[in-house]
Amino acid sequence: MKNLEEQFEEYLREFQPRRPRALPGPAIHRQVWPRRLAAAAAITIALGAWLCSVRQKPAGQEARNVTSNRPVVSEQQRPRRPLSIVVLTHLAVENPAGLDAALVAAQKNRLPRFDRKDSALRILGKE
Amino acid sequence: MGDKKLNAAEVRHLYDQHGPALVAYARSFVYAAAAEDVVHQVFLRLLSPEVEMPDVPVAYVYRAVRNAALNARRNGQRLAPLDPQLSVFKHRGGNMEAALTLEKALGELPEEQRQVVVMRIWSGLTLEEAAAATGAPLNTVASRYRYALEKLREKLRPYRKE
Repeated sequence: MKNLEEQFEEYLREFQPRRPRALPGPAIHRQVWPRRLAAAAAITIALGAWLCSVRQKPAGQEARNVTSNRPVVSEQQRPRRPLSIVVLTHLAVENPAGLDAALVAAQKNRLPRFDRKDSALRILGKE
Repeated sequence: MGDKKLNAAEVRHLYDQHGPALVAYARSFVYAAAAEDVVHQVFLRLLSPEVEMPDVPVAYVYRAVRNAALNARRNGQRLAPLDPQLSVFKHRGGNMEAALTLEKALGELPEEQRQVVVMRIWSGLTLEEAAAATGAPLNTVASRYRYALEKLREKLRPYRKE
């Protein structure tokens, strides 16, 4: 049997003092920062994946889908180099004549050719 | 043995373990809301890099809370009348009147007795630890504790079935 003192101690423990409000500071940051970092990493990965898919997708794909199921081989086979905005801006500032030449050269590679039998424009024209 | 700096996790652990008891302790110097503020401020200071803690952190925080509460009291945050809504204690069975009586009875104890009761009952220290924290001999602390319990038992008798 417990003595009176122990019984009274137990009774006193039935009274709980008020818990002071939580301390602010590092613990909160420790919880929030990993979440922010994870969110930033997820956004970066998603953006990177989207950019990769956009850059790899052939420019003439939409036209091919619209016309028919026949693939336009020549358009895909042609090597494409993306036009760099930085390079073009630099050319426009430093050498406007060079910019014209670069745009003409790029146009040969990027615009669809219409002088071949299997070109997308020729097929579209027939239809 | 020298002082050391507690890291933030240790300070938080100390706060979780002793915060409520320290609020009860501070309540005998200032009113309930101020008691909570005092304890909160003491621990906020402990989180700052320049504060070093002695070897017995519990003793330090009790002393710091006492000093801060006395300062607050000097600055005009006097004891307010007991208000059931602002009581420092909550009774598990919901007996508000008993909680207020306990709060009042604790406030009427001599400070040394009150301190050892709070340390023992709500901070969970043994009498040896309370003696180490207060720097008083164990026998003295044990006597203070016994006297305090007798007085509290007397005041709380109407509320408890013995």
